[in-house]
Amino acid sequence: MLIRKVLRTAWSYKAQFISMIIMSTLGIGVFLGFNMEWRTIEYDTGNFFADNNYADYRLYSESGFSKEDFAAIASIKGVDKASRFLAVNLDIKNEGKFQDKGKKSLSLDVSENYTVSTFTLMSGEKYDENGDGIWLSDKFAAANNILEGDSLTLAFQDSEISGRVVGLIKAAEHMICLADSNQLMPDYNIYGYAYISPAKLRAVLREKLLKTAEAELVKAGVPEEVARQKAGEMVGDQEIEQALNKVFAAINLRSSLPKASLEDAVKEKLGRTIMVVAKDEHVVYKEAMGEAKEGKTMGSVLPVLFLIIALLTMVTTMHRIATKEKTQIGILKALGFKNSTILLHYSFYGLFIGLLGAAFGAVLGLFVCKAVMSENGMMGTYFDMPDWTSAVPTFCYPLIGIAIFLMALISFLSVKFQLRGNAADALRPYIPKMHKTMLEGLPFFEKLNFATKWNVRDLLRHKSRFSMTLIGIVGCMVLLVGGLGMRDTMAGFLDLLDNDISHYVTKVNLVPNTGYEQAKDLIAALDGDYESLSGISIGGYTAVLDILSNEKNRISIVDEDNKPIALSDDGAYICLRLKDKASIGDYIEFSPYGGDETYRVKIVGYNRSVMTESLTMSAKLAESLGIKYNISSIYTMKSTAEIPQNELISGKQDKRQLMDSFLSFVSIIDGMVLILVIAAVILGIVVLYNLGIMSYIERSRELATLKVLGFRSQKIGSLLIMQNIWLTVIGVIIGLPAGVWVLNWLLNALAGEYELKLMLGWMTYTVSILLTFGVSLFVGWLVAGKNKKIDMVEALKAGE
Amino acid sequence: MAIVKFESVSRVYTSGDHELRALDRVSFTLDEGKFVVILGPSGAGKSTLLNLLGGLDSPTIGKITVAGTDISKLNDDELADYRASQVGFVFQFYNLIPTLTVYENVKLVAEISPKALDAKEMIERVGLLDHLNNFPAELSGGEQQRISIARALCKNPQILLCDEPTGALDSATGVMVLKLLLEMARNYGKTIVIVTHNQNIAKMADVVIRVKNGQIRAIEEQENPLAADEVEW
Repeated sequence: MLIRKVLRTAWSYKAQFISMIIMSTLGIGVFLGFNMEWRTIEYDTGNFFADNNYADYRLYSESGFSKEDFAAIASIKGVDKASRFLAVNLDIKNEGKFQDKGKKSLSLDVSENYTVSTFTLMSGEKYDENGDGIWLSDKFAAANNILEGDSLTLAFQDSEISGRVVGLIKAAEHMICLADSNQLMPDYNIYGYAYISPAKLRAVLREKLLKTAEAELVKAGVPEEVARQKAGEMVGDQEIEQALNKVFAAINLRSSLPKASLEDAVKEKLGRTIMVVAKDEHVVYKEAMGEAKEGKTMGSVLPVLFLIIALLTMVTTMHRIATKEKTQIGILKALGFKNSTILLHYSFYGLFIGLLGAAFGAVLGLFVCKAVMSENGMMGTYFDMPDWTSAVPTFCYPLIGIAIFLMALISFLSVKFQLRGNAADALRPYIPKMHKTMLEGLPFFEKLNFATKWNVRDLLRHKSRFSMTLIGIVGCMVLLVGGLGMRDTMAGFLDLLDNDISHYVTKVNLVPNTGYEQAKDLIAALDGDYESLSGISIGGYTAVLDILSNEKNRISIVDEDNKPIALSDDGAYICLRLKDKASIGDYIEFSPYGGDETYRVKIVGYNRSVMTESLTMSAKLAESLGIKYNISSIYTMKSTAEIPQNELISGKQDKRQLMDSFLSFVSIIDGMVLILVIAAVILGIVVLYNLGIMSYIERSRELATLKVLGFRSQKIGSLLIMQNIWLTVIGVIIGLPAGVWVLNWLLNALAGEYELKLMLGWMTYTVSILLTFGVSLFVGWLVAGKNKKIDMVEALKAGE
Repeated sequence: MAIVKFESVSRVYTSGDHELRALDRVSFTLDEGKFVVILGPSGAGKSTLLNLLGGLDSPTIGKITVAGTDISKLNDDELADYRASQVGFVFQFYNLIPTLTVYENVKLVAEISPKALDAKEMIERVGLLDHLNNFPAELSGGEQQRISIARALCKNPQILLCDEPTGALDSATGVMVLKLLLEMARNYGKTIVIVTHNQNIAKMADVVIRVKNGQIRAIEEQENPLAADEVEW
């Protein structure tokens, strides 16, 4: 019979039960979803990295690695697997399917012995180390309508590489497929990757060497028909090996050695310093783990907020239900039911809500996770992986169990409180304490009108309801300010990049090893500023040395407040992410990779670095320090069409195209903002409606009395809405700075990945405030509307 | 002069196929300044009658005229105005607002009644000036009912409607409340309608309306009603 009572009581409190189920679903769902998101990144990328033998370390040498170098490195104790590796960006020739398709390029990779940095075959022929075909990124193929069997020609230095697409692949090396550090989001329409076998590379190099030799012979006066044959005699295995030694500019290896030990061992074996990049410094691994870290950071704030609000809602609501059920509890006790039976009976409500919340929450969590981490989800364009299996962090299982237990415990304790004393005590209805508070003792209080006094007293006497409503509004506000502020900050960052940092029209990338002397004519012809980017070690920490000549103001660097910095020749600038490495006025020592020199420079300021962790200095300062540098890029006001062909140019990047590539990144942010705004509105509506209804039920007799006395429904409704307005005003006053604080905290926590300055537009403030007020007033209006239907006779009888 | 007129008033409650006729074609008139008791057993329809007269409920059919106004045709807001200005209520369980003090409970009606009397004076009249700043929960049942009477009269209504006003009180307190009620009504010239199942209270009335099964069985005028302290129960 008690089971029937369970069901009927649940039905009579359906609004409260539904609210509690929604809140526990939201709490568990958001908690699970956010935590599943980062765990899925770790799990799926981890599997992909393992399957593709993703390199733990990458050794770079501009002059390349010989077979002897490779053998020496492979013999280092602790190096498990190693392979000479080539990864070079090549343009696709506008032939066949690519006729009139504009510029498209690929990273062409070769893993010499295919033990490290391999790929996953999605369709087509298996990898063959002697094969002649091309294994192409399946996403690039799909975006460009390329099928297996189609031919592809790539411009390779002054030669070309042609081949048939024999397989479609995904490679962990290019899981985040970015052409260079300026690109934020992959764009498979214009950039992808492909693998060829070392045998094919060898054949391509042989052909290139033959052509060069033939051309030289023809130039020297040898007849063409003889030149070809003669060239064949000139180009032997030794020449091809030498060419291979030059193009294999990297050795990728698997090793569990610490970086410093590996660096020492490499130096000892080769007799020179080699740039060693650990996987956590390599863009793909770093970004993937950065995303996971970002997810963990986000997962430690918002879901916890939801979970706490869910539990607090449960505490408030169950306490109120138990209070309203006091007489029934007393009746059961008077009838002879044992306390344990009654407690078990009421604990079932919490358990039931917890179990339903966990079940629905698991579905919601999976949905949230899939919305972010799936092939068609928000991260679907960022990560290119073969498997998108969702994973749950192990700690979530006991935590969900604890949440369910806590919900049952809340019910248990709420009823235990009402069971104190004997049956007669339990039968007595609950009467709230009524005495004057300090505020009511103040002289001005007497002068307040009835509505104000009524609402003030109601709030002071129902502190838990008051606090919960406030938490709901503050939570709603924090989510709105946080979500919209994140978008503002991103928009501000793009605006900074577009208008304050980049004043050029085209960024011209130069081929590697282009010295200033070689490039100066081109710099002059393009009337541009130039920049050199190279790897350096600051006390073992890998960073980028950014040498800049920006006298023509084509490119700027900005300070912590996003104000442009006029580069001083007296010292260098360290980016905010490396702030802990040196203070202003300190001297810092750094060593460029590939050499033995160490330089010492004074830090004269901090700068906000857009992409890389960098040390920035003027070209003049670099020259005065004796740093030998190559030019990486020239920034010019000329359009790509106006820039003539030049052998030094490896690529041209239109600023507009670059800015457009950020748009898909912004769309991910928009997606997350939308989730946060929806969550904020649901949170606000559910918490406020639940508490509003509870408050309405508690006060229904008072409201009926007011109606009997002659108060119009509208006036009574305005009394109820007045309280909502007060709480919303207080909630907004607390929520606004709290939202800014949370956003700031998040940005600081994510500072390792981005150097974003918190920016909040007036629209964010306005929309957040209006939406919070909108939610509050909407709920107030819904609750106040019930007042019209109040049955005065029934409500007054209920009190008897 | 008649202040209340019921003409063939019926009130039928329906719940699914089930129909409950709480009042069945009731007709009567009440004169101004009279002390009227509506008497009947539980379920007779007396509270329904009082609710209709107080504008808390509307008749299914029939016409109710109070001081020349047909209240059966008023909408919700007009009924609220009618309750605010024409009738004062005294309930068995007082129905004071627990979050307002004694003074505030009485003063409350002054906000909506166009001809309200002074709240403090009313409280003084019911002898509770010392309890101005107390909350209802700090008062005894009798004291709460006295405040309820002060609140009802503060509106300065034409009719005072009382639903079992002594039902929750012991006999001594009940007598005291009835005495106060009569005294106040006489002093302020109000028409009082009390609904009760207590035969003894009927002895105090100028007019007794006996109700049973939703119909009026008798209307009796008493030439020599008893004083409150002569009544025993």
